[in-house]
Amino acid sequence: MTPSIITPRGMHRRHFLGHLAATTLGIPAAQFFANLRANAAVARKNQRSCIVLWMSGGPSHLDIWDLKPDSEKNGGPFKPIATSAPGVSISEHMPKTAKQMHHLNVLRSLDSKEGNHERGTYLMHTGYVPNPTVVHPGWGSTAAFEIGSRMEDFDLPHCVSINTPGQGAGFLGMSYTPFMVQNPNAPIANLAPPADVDDLRLDRRLQLLGRVETNFIKQRGAAPAVDHQAVYRKTIKMMNSKYKDIFKLDSESPEVREAYGKHSFGSGCLLARRLVEQGVTYVEVAMGGWDTHADNFDALSTRLLPELDQGMAALTADLASRGLLDTTMIVWMGEFGRTPRINQNAGRDHWPRSWSVVMGGGGMKSGQVVGSTDKDGVDVSDRPIGVMDMIATMTKTMGIGIDTQYTTPRGRPMKVVDGGKPIAELVG
Amino acid sequence: MPQRDGRVDAPAIRAPWRSIVAAAGLVAVLVVAARGRAGDEPAEKSLGANKAAPAANALDPLLRQAWKDAGLKPATVAGDAEFLRRAYLDILGRIPTVAEAREFLNAKAADKRARLVDLLLEHVDYPKNFATEWTNLLIGRGRQERNVDRAALTAWLRKQFSADRPWNEVVYDLVTASGSNKENGAVNYTLAHLETEAVPLTSRTTRLFLGQQLQCVQCHDHPQNDWKQADFWGINAFFRGLKTEEKRMAGADGLEKVDHVELTDVPTEAFARFDRRNGMMGVAFPKFIDGRKVDKPGKAVRRVELAKLITDPEGDMLPRAMVNRTWAHFMGKGFVNPVDDIGPHNTPVLPEVFDKLTEEFREGGCDVKQLIRWITSSAAYQASSVRPGKAKAEDDQFSVMMLRPMSPEQLFDSLLTATAAHRTGGGRNDDKREGWMRQFLFTFGNDEGDEATSFQGTIPQSLMMMNGELMRDALSGKPGSFLSDAVEQAGRQHRSPAGFMVDQLYMAALSRHPSNAESTPAVAYLESSPDAMSFLQDLFWALLNSNEFILIH
Repeated sequence: MTPSIITPRGMHRRHFLGHLAATTLGIPAAQFFANLRANAAVARKNQRSCIVLWMSGGPSHLDIWDLKPDSEKNGGPFKPIATSAPGVSISEHMPKTAKQMHHLNVLRSLDSKEGNHERGTYLMHTGYVPNPTVVHPGWGSTAAFEIGSRMEDFDLPHCVSINTPGQGAGFLGMSYTPFMVQNPNAPIANLAPPADVDDLRLDRRLQLLGRVETNFIKQRGAAPAVDHQAVYRKTIKMMNSKYKDIFKLDSESPEVREAYGKHSFGSGCLLARRLVEQGVTYVEVAMGGWDTHADNFDALSTRLLPELDQGMAALTADLASRGLLDTTMIVWMGEFGRTPRINQNAGRDHWPRSWSVVMGGGGMKSGQVVGSTDKDGVDVSDRPIGVMDMIATMTKTMGIGIDTQYTTPRGRPMKVVDGGKPIAELVG
Repeated sequence: MPQRDGRVDAPAIRAPWRSIVAAAGLVAVLVVAARGRAGDEPAEKSLGANKAAPAANALDPLLRQAWKDAGLKPATVAGDAEFLRRAYLDILGRIPTVAEAREFLNAKAADKRARLVDLLLEHVDYPKNFATEWTNLLIGRGRQERNVDRAALTAWLRKQFSADRPWNEVVYDLVTASGSNKENGAVNYTLAHLETEAVPLTSRTTRLFLGQQLQCVQCHDHPQNDWKQADFWGINAFFRGLKTEEKRMAGADGLEKVDHVELTDVPTEAFARFDRRNGMMGVAFPKFIDGRKVDKPGKAVRRVELAKLITDPEGDMLPRAMVNRTWAHFMGKGFVNPVDDIGPHNTPVLPEVFDKLTEEFREGGCDVKQLIRWITSSAAYQASSVRPGKAKAEDDQFSVMMLRPMSPEQLFDSLLTATAAHRTGGGRNDDKREGWMRQFLFTFGNDEGDEATSFQGTIPQSLMMMNGELMRDALSGKPGSFLSDAVEQAGRQHRSPAGFMVDQLYMAALSRHPSNAESTPAVAYLESSPDAMSFLQDLFWALLNSNEFILIH
């Protein structure tokens, strides 16, 4: 029982607050402090994580992972360089990542039909094309649902999106919606109560809230009310978590901050490492600006690639040196690739017909190139890979049953992997 | 144990109230009558007194028959407080103030619900609310193109709703609007969706005004209904021949910048081209979705031709789409869902009611206010959200009111209505309000204003509700805030100031009186405790963070 300071004088606490045992929000905040048992070692036991590096806008695969130096019109000015993976070459503007390629794989033969940003984003995050009758969960929410929710006493969100809101949880419900970190270089907004609200007052607030909620939900008991309550419960847990400092990057050494880069992508990668280290299941780090219809080569060489290279290489190396790469999968992707043809503005347009995704870690084989495109980069010439195959590979790598199926609230069966096959070269 | 008769010693009362006043920085002298508060609670009486059946509504026989046929036991009629809050949120986009709530709850007239709806439809917040909602539907909540003047569109819509313009005329103007986007706000609808060959404009126009989801057939024929790729591109062809021009003017600093954009229709022979799945190129001339074509597309102003077809008085799609969407606004769900996917492939709930309402709306000249009166007076809207028995949510056919999350705008305006947080620190602080609004919309609003998926209940949202700056100011008790005013008023109460205070907080946040079980312990606590102000803050915090506050019910 919490101290009696908040009990009205002359009245038994129980009379005042009602039967808290019956409320679903009835865990006093102070009790959370006593419950902080989970530590990193326990949390990470048998725990797999995934970090998605999301390149919003559709990055030019032809100038990063699948260069065409022999194509006269389509090649562009960038040169390929050798990497730490024998036989794998990538762009000269990715020198740091080149040294980490033995940990990763390049899939050069993605093949989809969605050349629209919104639809492509939906497809890559869910494995499905948008459909007005059902909202599919982002794969990260599915992973959080399957893996994260098995962890007890874990008070960080299981699914985190850094820099952009990420894909919603669809029919899995709002409690699996990604926790959004708007700016990895700034503290999480509103995480602490005002200075004059100490634990005891927060406790009292929650008990008063529990009281209002119990009556309302008892009468109506509908999903939105219950969901809302679940989110509040999670929020309070996080406010009181000893992990709340995990979001503050200033505890890292200047060398580490420097290695990742202090831009939002680099800082996001560093935060992602800190989160998976504690057992968070899915972290997405977004980097925008890839919709290079004009001045593609300038944008890539001066701005986009140096930033990407720094963050991605530091993350891969750091995970490897901490022994986390075996349980942490990295996936680099965007909504589609860009046209082999260079347009009149020195840009490239949208191209979902043949393009690249990079993945590694999480126990996958590594250092390989899978699939290829033809000499001019127009069509897949070997080993076409569908988006569902990629989702299947991710699902299998995370140890989630490949035949997992849900029933949507409308009663429709929905598979996590629908028709795709894990890529044998990686997880066979 | 609490004292049964509510009597307490005078000093025990005075002490906390003095501390409240001190905490609130007020100097009002307290006059505290040490009279009991028993029998001082109007709660049960005024809520219970008005359970008269709502006035008869033409839809009701159909509704009742449908429920009977389905073997449904409808919920009881919503109590006055439940109805009041719902009507304010749905029509004005905010909860009632304490004064507004008390006025309605105390009113005795048998037809006071109908009167309230009429009153709300004349309130300045009605056009404001519907203009906000339709701005989101027309151009989304997200960041707009550089040259889209969102404020001008909202102002234009506000004028239309304020002037009671028939919906078909509003739509006609939106589809055909041309000229300066600054002077004619309606132009911004078209401007916002011109990219990628007006594909977004084609899709929004058919969805919003006709209730038809044609966007899927942009790339392939529809698997479930009759729409073909050519249908999409036939509509798209109406938007060929549009020209935009940035008009520049010297600003105050002497530098030239874009002042406004001019949208004009240029006669054209152009047609839409599209890629067929088989790799062939398709070609489409302006053709409406019922197959009607424009005779001489080269001579006609194509958008005018399209608007005529959309608003054809013989046509059924425009009124049907508006009725379904408005019903969904008030009921949480359309007869057909998704609300803009109407057709034989998508069976409606309560088809007879849907038909009847569509017919009435069409024949009554697409009068939006009248539509709102029909809906709000129906047995479906008057139903309580308290579920009878164990009925399932899926099959209740609107016999129980759905719980609905507020939109971010509704939640924001309701928070300010309840707390007057923006008035703290003296006077209106518009900058502060704007700043909060931006944060709020970022945290709560999703970028796609398409569907009502607004309050998703994420951790950052609850953090903002629990600890955010708005809430801190709202609860600070600083002069100007609701809490500060309420404390001052309580100090002037001759009968139980504590009882008054608790009642005020429930009325402000939940638009109802507290039940005895709710008020008795809170009042007893206030009358016996030295930290009364902090208790009031905590109680208000709890009420504002509750489901009962955050949901429309």
